[in-house]
Amino acid sequence: MFASKRLAKELQKLHDKLPPGITLVKADDLQEWIMDIRVVDNNPIYVGEVYRLKFTFSQSYPIEAPEVVFVRDETHPIPWHPHIYSNGIICLDLLDRQGWSPVHNVESVCVSLQSMLTSNTKKERPEGDDNFVRNNRLRPRDINFIFHDNQV
Amino acid sequence: MPPPGNEYAAEQLKTQGNAQFKNGDYEAAEALYGQAIQKNSNNPLLFTNRANARLKLEKWEGVIDDCIRSIELLKENMKAYFYLAQAQLAINHPNEALSSALMAYELCSHSAQQTSNAATISALVLRAKKAKWEIRERERIRRRGDLLADLEAHLEVTYKKEQEDIQARIESGDVGKVEGQEEKEERRKEWEKKRNDLRTAFALSSPEMLQKREVPDYLIDGITFEIMVDPVVTKNGRSYDRATLIEHLKRSPTDPLTREPLSIRELRPNIALKEACTEFLEGNSGWVYDCEDGERDVDARWAHLSSS
Repeated sequence: MFASKRLAKELQKLHDKLPPGITLVKADDLQEWIMDIRVVDNNPIYVGEVYRLKFTFSQSYPIEAPEVVFVRDETHPIPWHPHIYSNGIICLDLLDRQGWSPVHNVESVCVSLQSMLTSNTKKERPEGDDNFVRNNRLRPRDINFIFHDNQV
Repeated sequence: MPPPGNEYAAEQLKTQGNAQFKNGDYEAAEALYGQAIQKNSNNPLLFTNRANARLKLEKWEGVIDDCIRSIELLKENMKAYFYLAQAQLAINHPNEALSSALMAYELCSHSAQQTSNAATISALVLRAKKAKWEIRERERIRRRGDLLADLEAHLEVTYKKEQEDIQARIESGDVGKVEGQEEKEERRKEWEKKRNDLRTAFALSSPEMLQKREVPDYLIDGITFEIMVDPVVTKNGRSYDRATLIEHLKRSPTDPLTREPLSIRELRPNIALKEACTEFLEGNSGWVYDCEDGERDVDARWAHLSSS
């Protein structure tokens, strides 16, 4: 209901100022936005790479979480991380139905993902990545991730 | 009380009216509700349903009549006040519209289920406030315009008199022609400068010129990013607009910031903040309201009510 108003305000702010390493690529409508993020320190896993994120908003945003996935193209790989599947699906509590709160926004999600990468030391995919990528037909928000570890 | 047979007939007619309403045939719905009222004029719902059909048909006076009759039958009548406010706004009675909308909001926020109608109604409250502000603003500009015109006229009279005096002195030989022309030119420049200063002063005194068009963060709801209308405070001291926080709590009964359990019953009105918001809205011209995205889909939100 208030999705369009709230997104319009967020967009205005994003045009104004963004934290380092985060850029707005495309926000032609109030349904789908593209953001780029890169890690600003020299974590060797991510150095020199830029990652592309796709945000999809429902009518109930921000009461409902946006759907956020990494997308791959020639210049943008999917970052290595034990919580990021190789198809771009992210397992992060704040994007989950339970973990989301309407005080989050596009910028804070980007910042959280950025810091999730910054603090990571394992160049790994989640357990069962191959199987998940091959078989998953669910939308990210309908997947029940089990947050088995809190170290990463 | 109508005979029981009539009550039944009225109920049948209402059901048919609801069906026509759903189909978008508001004329037919209005007529059917009218027939139902003839059978049973004690049911407030028949009046609010007809008011809703009349809203669609833009029969504003009819809406107002129906709402008033419905309220006579049932005092705590949120729907009637909601329709009434819309009709009053449409016929350009923003003061009445505002009190009706506030009444609807009051009834809504005290209702047991604290429905999502709160958001729709608070949007209507804002629209009424905006309409009220616009009228005041037009009046202010008109008055200011008069004052400016008066003062400019004064300056011009003085200027013309000076010019005539100089001309008279030239003609009588008191001053030389060249000297006189120079003085005339000087006076003309002085007059133009005074007039421009006056215009600048008036331009500066209008609040739109001076105010920074930004609502302070402490008046902004962290969920909608808009100025709050009815702020409520949570256990950790943060305030949110009641309507939007309830939307969140219905989905997830947690504090948006801390994720601690939080129920609707635990919310408390933040009266001082509400006053600050109201004061800001009243003092700060209509631009605050302009952030509205125009028409919202009121119909969809009320669909579940119109078939009651």
